Formats: sequence, structure tokens, C-alpha cells
Amino acid sequence: MENKKGMSLLEKQSRAGWIFLAPATLMIAVMSFWPMISAFLTSLKTGSSANMEWASPIFYNYTRMFADKLFLRSVGNTFLYLAIQVPIMLVLAILLAQLLNNKDLKLKGFFRTCVFLPCATALVSYSLIFKSLFATEGLINTILVNLHIISENYNFLGNAGSAKAVIIIALIWRWTGYNMVFYLAGLQNIEYSVYEAAKIDGANGWKTFWGITVPLLKPTIIMTFIMSINGTLQLFDESVNLTNGGPAFSTITMSHYIYNNTFGTGVANFGYATAMAFFVFIMVGILALINMKVGDTRD
Amino acid sequence: MKKKLISMLLAGTMVLSLAACGGGGSTGGDSGDGGDDAGSAEMGTSDDENTLTVAAWDPNLNIPALEAAAADYKENVNSDFVLDIKEQGGSQDVETAITTAASSGKYETLPDMVLFQDHWIRKFVADYPDAWQNVDDIDINWDDFYAEKIDYSTIDGVHYGVPVDGGTVIMAYRVDLLEEAGYTIDDMKGITWEKFIEVGKAVKEKTGKALLCMNSDGNDLMYMMLQAEGISQFKDGKPNLAGNDKVKEIVQLVVDMVNEGVLLLPNSWSDYTDKAIQGDQVAGVMNGNWIIPTIQAVDANSGKWEITTMPTLTGEEGYASNGGSSLYITANCKKVDLAKDFLAYTFGKSTVTYDNALKDGGVVSTYIPAGESEVYNEGVEFFNNTPIYAQISEMGAHVQTIEQSPFHYTCREKLGAAVINIVNGGDIDEEIQGAEDQLNFEMGN
Repeated sequence: MENKKGMSLLEKQSRAGWIFLAPATLMIAVMSFWPMISAFLTSLKTGSSANMEWASPIFYNYTRMFADKLFLRSVGNTFLYLAIQVPIMLVLAILLAQLLNNKDLKLKGFFRTCVFLPCATALVSYSLIFKSLFATEGLINTILVNLHIISENYNFLGNAGSAKAVIIIALIWRWTGYNMVFYLAGLQNIEYSVYEAAKIDGANGWKTFWGITVPLLKPTIIMTFIMSINGTLQLFDESVNLTNGGPAFSTITMSHYIYNNTFGTGVANFGYATAMAFFVFIMVGILALINMKVGDTRD
Repeated sequence: MKKKLISMLLAGTMVLSLAACGGGGSTGGDSGDGGDDAGSAEMGTSDDENTLTVAAWDPNLNIPALEAAAADYKENVNSDFVLDIKEQGGSQDVETAITTAASSGKYETLPDMVLFQDHWIRKFVADYPDAWQNVDDIDINWDDFYAEKIDYSTIDGVHYGVPVDGGTVIMAYRVDLLEEAGYTIDDMKGITWEKFIEVGKAVKEKTGKALLCMNSDGNDLMYMMLQAEGISQFKDGKPNLAGNDKVKEIVQLVVDMVNEGVLLLPNSWSDYTDKAIQGDQVAGVMNGNWIIPTIQAVDANSGKWEITTMPTLTGEEGYASNGGSSLYITANCKKVDLAKDFLAYTFGKSTVTYDNALKDGGVVSTYIPAGESEVYNEGVEFFNNTPIYAQISEMGAHVQTIEQSPFHYTCREKLGAAVINIVNGGDIDEEIQGAEDQLNFEMGN
């Protein structure tokens, strides 16, 4: 303890602070930052995964992806899912949250659990369940045929339009409850007296919703938006397990295409795949930034 | 002071034990690092000098074949011999294991030998030349095998693999359904695809079933149909699709078959096997002979199936091959002599191995003398007591060798997508050109 005698209290504390920080910092650096740097270096290389060489020009993989029709299609597909699924899902989630936040509702806990339950299912299993539901000989077809809505079994997953629709429906089913929970939490933070005051002032339900609920929920809405965008851009399990990207790559997502370029059809093109992954990363970053700027409450 | 010391000690042990966990994974090759090598799914080699490890995946097909070989070798050559089969979930798992091991340079994660489908070997040798040990000096007479089969695993004159099962294409028909439409199995032998479509329409009309099926996300039809014509999808290492009249003709035939309802295109492999074939939706199946166990799984259809050769453009009997696998010795194998001796004695020349492989796993050999054995010439009850294995063995010898490419599966994927797009109204020339462009793109041409 002799050596510590010369230190002031502040120095001691600061030293202790650094010692406490060190393990976590080191872990994050080794487990998170180093792989990122290493991945970036990989994205500048080409060749088979066993002997990779520096690409020439160095950003070859990054320019290459813009000439790749399949990659561009996967980007298009992903953004289509994003543009259709996220708004529908968030609106549904907010409406459900509003309904389930009703003070007089009986069996509230039960209903909340029901809506949230899809979230507890594993991604692969729910994808497979949807796959069998919408199979040509599946339940949905049987019902539709028996109700005489369609005359013969329809191959939902074998046609581009309907396959995309099935993926979107599946996503909505899986994620609405998840977002609803955030809205419920947000709603419970809004004082009931605010609603009472609005009622006294003669505001109807619609007006209270837009005038009180939405503005006060704004931070939550922005958070769910960012999370949903992020999640949708990284969509993988549904594309792989529900449709396998088909028919004819019409439902493939970016992550699925990236996977195909590493372990898929034996291409093992790690450099190119990592470059695409970085492109996705940049897109997620930009979209999140826009979102945060739009939702910035400081004027 | 005491408290401080204890907490320091606790923190220290935790960090150390965590570090040990991390270290165990990355230095798996270190000797004496016991404790974490339990579990048979884990690949790698064995220290025992008479034990070989091998990765395979199909408990109904190739695993019984390997067991037959191991028993044969143990009984007749080396009584201490043990073949440790590392069963994988599916063929993709073997391929992924190879890609992972080679990419990280950690060959010690591979077993002594791996079994995988022949179309992969060119890709694997091109990408990971260090992962394999050649079998040029093995005691096998390569002329005893189908030339087409050996061609897959012979790259620049160097032999890499020993064949296990073949992929000779069979065209299997439901004879009872053909009869309903007014045809017999003999009518289907040596016919043109036009005639096939004509029969298909009749069958569809009478029985409501398609005469052919193939999963749309792994469409092997074009490859097989082209091989029967002796044509490859590649020429001198480059795609040969656009402007190739035969390719266009065959793609057009496939599209016509879909449009006429003669060809069923289920969305996935499991839909193909479980729904289309075993769900009794089709009156015909065309694929490598390894599809037979799938057909046989429906007991109710016993005696109703028979096989023959596939149709061609000109109306001659068609012969092709699709799939089938071979055993390859990995760079991780230290007992190369034992591995070579085992392979040479069993899959290289033992009819005992092949007879048992056929009986237990339905594995049809590509070793020509094996086809002459009694087991091969017995009638198979499921196939109306016809000796289908002798038939297949005979067909296999006729398969023409065509140019193979490391990009076989990439090509299949693109051409399969083109077919779907054409069925949905795309222009045939544009779609084939598009498939070739994308293929060229992925090949880096």
C-alpha cells in the first residue's frame, strides 16, 4: 500500500474508475469493434474464402454491387416490405394499444397476452407455420376453396405477388404485438387527467387521439419506427424459410442474398458479401438519422 | 482489507475462467486440451490408428452404404478397423462445414473423409486446393467405373474422389395411370419430348395427375435434358446458354409442359418429395436414381411403378446423370494409407460392399462389375418385379460425359428462375440472356 500514499483522493477514484471500465471496454473492443474492422478489411478483398487478395481497385466490391441486378432486386424487395409492412404494422399496433388501454376493459391481461404471444414464437417456426398454412394444399387454400371464393387451389408461394403478400402478412402477425407493448407502456405514462381535461373541453375520441395521444407518444413512435426499419432491412428468416427467396428471386431480401453469397449456392464470396453487409449497415444508419432528425422535439 | 482481497480473488478467477472458455474455442488444435471433445456430431479425426472418421448425412441412403463398407473391411482386412460416421443433418451441412473449415484455415475441424455430391468438387478444389489429398496412387482401376462418374472428381487429370453412389437418371412411371390413359410403359421408351407431352395431356385428362414434377427452386430438369443430348450448359469454362438453340428448345419444352399442366413445379424440395411424389400428385418422376427410396416410401403404390429411359429431342433413349456422391480424403487425414486402403478395398472393388449397400440403403453403384451380381438382377416387388437395379446399371454406362463447371448450382439457380419468369409471361430470349448475364456476373467474367 506504500505506493498509493502519494495519490490524492481524486486520482485514486479516477484510477478505480478506469479499472472498472477496462474489462467491459476491452470485451467490446475485442468482440465487437475488432470483428467490424476485420469485416471491413474483408470487404476490400476478393477471391475464394481460403485465399483472399486485395481487390483492385480497392473498392471493387462496393462498385460491383450496383451492377448486380439480383442485389438491386433484393434491395427493391426489402424496401417494398418496409414501405408496406411498417406503416400498417405501426398503425395497427397503436390502435390495439389504444383499445387495450381502456380502463373499463375486462380481461385486459388476457387480451394483451394474446396480442403479444406471436412475438414469443421463434422466427423459423412461425415462418414454417405460415409456409404450411399458405401451401398449395394448405389450410388457407382449403378454406377459400370450400367457401367458393376461389375455384381451385392457388399456389400462393409460387407466384411473385402473392408470395410477397404472404411475407408481409406474416411479418405483421409476428411483430404487431411487439410494438404494441411499447405503445402500451407509453400510453400508461400519459396522465389520465389530460384526457379528462380534453373531454371537459369537448374533444371527441378522434381529436384526443391526434391531439394528445400521438404527440405524447412521439418518442415511442420514433423508437418503434427506427427499430422496425432496422429489423425489416435485416429481414432474413422469413425470406429463407417461407419462400426461400423464390419464385425466381422475387421475394429475396438483402440479408438472404448476402447469405447466399457466403454459404448459399457454394459461391463462398465472402468479400463481396461483407461489402453488401456494410452497404446495409450504412442504409440503416442513414434511415435512423433521418428518423431522428424528423422526430427531433427540440425546435 | 480482507473483503477487498476476497473480491479481487473472485474477480480474478472469473476473468481467468472466462478467458479459458474463449481460449478453448480458438485453440482447438492444441494437444492435451481435453474435456471439450464430447459429442459425436463434432467432426475432426480420431487418435486411434485403426479408426477413420467420415461425414455423411442420409440415414436411409449413404450411411447404410458406409456401414456396409466398414463391416466388409473389418471382416476381411483389418479386424480392429472402426469407421466413425459423423452423421450430419443434411448434405448442405457437409458443404457448409467444408466452406467454414477452409475459409478459416482450420482443417482440423474436418473428419478424415467427407462424402458430398459430385457437383461440388470442382468448386471446392478451385476454391480450396489445400483441403484435399489426391488419390492418384490408390489401388483402383478407374476403368471399372462409369467414365462420366469419374469425370466429376478428376480435375486436370488428378483423381480426388472414390465413387459411392451414382446419379443415373431414371424416368419412373405409374403404370396403372398410364394404362388409364391408354398407354403402356413400352410406349414411353425412346420417345420424343413432344410425344411425352401428348401422353402427359392424356394422363392429365384421364387421371388429373401431372406426368412429371420438379421443385422450382432447384430445377434439375434442364441439366438432365441437356445431358441426354450430350450438351453442357458451359463451354470452355464459360456459360453457354444464350444463343444456344438446344438450350432454348429445352427451356421452351419445360415451359410448355408447365403450361399444359404436364409438369408440376412444387415450390421447394420438401414439397417435391412429400407432397408431389408421396402425396400421389404425379404419374411420373424423373431424377437421379437416389430418388427411388422417396418413391418407395408409399406402400400403397407398390407394384404400380416401373422405370425406363428418359425422352429426348430426337426420340432416342435418353441417358443422363444427376447427383450421386463420392468420398474425398481431407487435408486433415493423417492416416492416408489406411483411408486409401479402405476405399480401394470397399468402394473400389468389393461387390460385397456394393451388394449390402444396395440391400440396406438402395445405393446403386457406379462400379460396372457390381451390376452383374445376383442382388442387382433380382426383381423389385415395388417396381412390378422388374430388375430395376440391373436396368439402372445398364443405363449408367450410356451416360455421356459433358463439360462440368464449378458453377453448376449457380447456373441451375439462374436457369430455374428464367423458367419461372417465362411461365409468367417473360420473353424466352431475354430471360435466357438475363440468366447468362447474371451467371457471368457471379463467375466474375
